[in-house]
Amino acid sequence: MARTSKSLLQKAEPLGKTLTEILVCPLSKQPLRFCVETNSLISDAIGVSFPIKNGIPRLVPTDGKILEEEGTPKPKDTANSSSRTEENHGRNS
Amino acid sequence: MRVSSFLCRNSLLWSRRNGPFGAFSFAWFCSYNGDAIESSKAKIFDRQLKRKQRDRAAWLMRPRDSLVDTVAENLLDRLEDCKKTFPRALCLGGSLEAIRRLLRGRGSIEKLTMMDASSEMVELCKNAEAASRHDNIETTFVVGDEEFLPIKESSMDLVISCLGLHWTNDLPGAMIQCKLALKPDGLFLAAILGGDTLKELRIACTVAQMEREGGISPRISPLAQVRDAGNLLTRAGFTLPGVDVDEYTVKYESAFELIEHLRAMGETNALLQRDAILKRDTAFATAAIYDSMFGAEDGSVPATFQVIYMTGWREHPSQQKAKSRGSATISFQDIQKQFGNES
Repeated sequence: MARTSKSLLQKAEPLGKTLTEILVCPLSKQPLRFCVETNSLISDAIGVSFPIKNGIPRLVPTDGKILEEEGTPKPKDTANSSSRTEENHGRNS
Repeated sequence: MRVSSFLCRNSLLWSRRNGPFGAFSFAWFCSYNGDAIESSKAKIFDRQLKRKQRDRAAWLMRPRDSLVDTVAENLLDRLEDCKKTFPRALCLGGSLEAIRRLLRGRGSIEKLTMMDASSEMVELCKNAEAASRHDNIETTFVVGDEEFLPIKESSMDLVISCLGLHWTNDLPGAMIQCKLALKPDGLFLAAILGGDTLKELRIACTVAQMEREGGISPRISPLAQVRDAGNLLTRAGFTLPGVDVDEYTVKYESAFELIEHLRAMGETNALLQRDAILKRDTAFATAAIYDSMFGAEDGSVPATFQVIYMTGWREHPSQQKAKSRGSATISFQDIQKQFGNES
């Protein structure tokens, strides 16, 4: 999975060189990998994918989706719920 | 405040969320004091709501808002004071569109990245960019959160933030991330709203709520004071920090027009502890009190906007530094003799 998307990266680059050069994962600050299949940017360090809409990458942590083991993103919004529990913690403490 | 610390188990957190005035907003910046884990989770603003408000503001926005344009113009003016050029720039949330429109080749930016947490705002800028190709700046767009900056370390020559950072929960953290995104000798320019902003509305709201509801709830955010801004810059590790303040008074027909304007700028209340309901008669009472307390003779009501401009550089060996202690070769007494005792 990782290999295929890497080879495709050179062919289809929807974001352009400028953006791919500067963008990193907002949480881990590690490089991002472009996935053609899902049209998203994937942070391998934390296993989260960020969608690209209209050619604009959405790198807000709550927009990200936690990837399943196989590497296919599920529509289940796990990233959102985890941040919500964090918020609740903040409120309770 | 003293009463509240008895009532509330965590008085520090409480005061942070409720402090609409200067003295409390000081506590808000100290995100690492005491219990680091607990305070890092302290949230003052509802960032998700702010995104929605900014989404709406993208549609409500006035084409050429004079207040926003003045601030953006003033901020960009600083680029002309620098001899350095900034090939790569990052423009953060707030008045993105105004910055892009008013840039006009200043700072000789070649590649500009525009980032906002609101996707509608970014789309708007992208469409505006497509409609008017006035200069050959390569502009790219990202939806991102200032608190989680998705920018590679040491990749930018300039980071501009115009009226956006005052909505971050962790302002020092956001500024540290900006600093990391900068190359050595890169420039950080920011304009945030200061503590005197909307002081009239703050007073009118408080009086009206006391009168109608017998208590008050935070309607206006805690904002940074000028003295905090300098501390913030040094704490984030910027060198040659510079802070200056400007106050703008905008005249409105009534308090309702003021609220409309705030809505169009996406600057409405996004406090986590806000009271979601604003009763109709409280709103009218606020407007009436505003008018009677602050109204001018011509029937308009003034609103103060205090803008704090912050400038900071990322460290670089070429920058000027203070000489080490005791390295002076001339005594001050000699200087005084030389120039006389006029003063």
